[in-house]
Amino acid sequence: MTATQSPPTESRPTPPTGVKRRRALIAITLIVGAAWSVTGIDVTLERLLEAPGDAWDIFKRLWPPAMDEALNRGVIGKVFESVYIAWVGTIIGAVLSLPLAFLAATNVAPRWIRIPVRQLFNAIRAVPELIVAVIFIPITGLGPWAGTLAIGLHSVGTLGKWATEAIEGVDTGPLEAVEATGGRWVSGMRWGVLPQIMPIVASFWLFRFEINVRASAVLGMIGAGGVGAELVSQLIFRNFPAVGAVLGITVLVVLTIDTMSAAMRRRIIAGAARTSGPDLDADRNAEALANLTGFRR
Amino acid sequence: MSDGETARPVRPRPRLRTLGIAAGLLAFTVFAANEVGFDASTSWEMWSNPLWEKFWPIPWDWVLDRSNVLDPLVETFQIAILATIIGCGLALPISFAMSRLTAPNRPVYLVSRSVMNVVRAVPDLFWAKLLVTAVGIGAFAGTWALSVFSLAVMVKLFSETVDNADPRPLEAARASGSRYLPAVRTGVLPTVLPEYVAYALYVFELNIRASIVLGLVGAGGVGRVLEAQRQFFRFDRVLGMLIIVFVVVFVIEQVSVALRKRLV
Repeated sequence: MTATQSPPTESRPTPPTGVKRRRALIAITLIVGAAWSVTGIDVTLERLLEAPGDAWDIFKRLWPPAMDEALNRGVIGKVFESVYIAWVGTIIGAVLSLPLAFLAATNVAPRWIRIPVRQLFNAIRAVPELIVAVIFIPITGLGPWAGTLAIGLHSVGTLGKWATEAIEGVDTGPLEAVEATGGRWVSGMRWGVLPQIMPIVASFWLFRFEINVRASAVLGMIGAGGVGAELVSQLIFRNFPAVGAVLGITVLVVLTIDTMSAAMRRRIIAGAARTSGPDLDADRNAEALANLTGFRR
Repeated sequence: MSDGETARPVRPRPRLRTLGIAAGLLAFTVFAANEVGFDASTSWEMWSNPLWEKFWPIPWDWVLDRSNVLDPLVETFQIAILATIIGCGLALPISFAMSRLTAPNRPVYLVSRSVMNVVRAVPDLFWAKLLVTAVGIGAFAGTWALSVFSLAVMVKLFSETVDNADPRPLEAARASGSRYLPAVRTGVLPTVLPEYVAYALYVFELNIRASIVLGLVGAGGVGRVLEAQRQFFRFDRVLGMLIIVFVVVFVIEQVSVALRKRLV
């Protein structure tokens, strides 16, 4: 077919019908939602205008950070306590979640056990670490052990879900080979499935460790050990340079751990040869999007 | 192989470096467990702690009284809604500024990217506590803190989507002499808008959960009541509240998930 010479049109193509109405509907929903929310929050125009200035005042006073004072008060030790909490919590979560994940995967577990284990993962993920810690603190007393337990229990939910998805994606060949030679279910899991999923599961553990470092820093704010307590006490005394130092050290440690752990994850997934392998974060985001919306790019 | 021998293959001996790494990790774990106060005996004894009895029975009269749980819960959701609108609204332009594909120029790209990395490295409740100190205790500070938090999450998710968008419409618009904003508006925005909406609803779900704990540091909502009851050692009320809160959160999430499936 030859291209016909169509005269250039001056008018823009009109948008499909219904678009305007839908846009208006969305806009109205957002405005009504915002208006209703504002009524519940004690906002006055005066306060709204003052707030950024007040916040900026505080942020200005965080600089320069009082590093000496923070170091004398042992902030470094507190930050490391947070890291220990995150590490032990991640290990507790990993140890508890891996066996459970085998019981939750569609391709290796019978239906009667799969459903309850999956619901258990969902229920655990619904409760934030802080709430778990609120429940544990009266039992264990204030201190890092409460935070460790809270992080460990909460990690079971996400780690279990990710490991389950990894198990569901395995190649069934090795599993069938084990079955064909008369291996029992446990042998099939140990020799047919586990070697396939271990690299990706290990990288999930590291990823969860990164998340847990942040979570454990927060847990200190309610007395469950770690650097959060230091931040709260300095803020109560309105000792802002010290707050700045605590924040700075925390951010530095968090970013360092993120970078190291991301490099390790890449190396675990891609092998030693290609250290610049696929970006797990991007993959996981794409995966999360697919789970959320039901479509894949 | 060739002589038909059926010996099992010899298991390769683990390398010295592997053993070293394993030993190092084990030592670190033992040390860390010691530091956080792990103790095999106490970790079993705690399950027989008499304080568990204080969680039971749940005082349903108190829990179901509107002013105790339901009203603060509504305030919590108002914080979450407002924070989602503010955070996701601001995230739209910033995501375009910090994506390699659509950054207007290199300084803007570098500055927005590094600022957002630092903002994300500060845990959400640290923001809440800072802002409570700055603008006073209450839902107002919570809204600001949660807005910052949604902004940080949203730009991370959405700028990666923009990175991966098809560059050709943008190039076409630029080639036909379009200025920067119209080119992004017509070349990139339509292709990433569905994902923007999906992420915004996802951030809304995150915010609903996060807003519950905001009150623990004085930033308003249902967490304030939780904190008060916790300090009075009324763990039975705490447990009852948590049950109500999570039933309501679960229902809202199911609605949001259904909406997201319909929209995209």
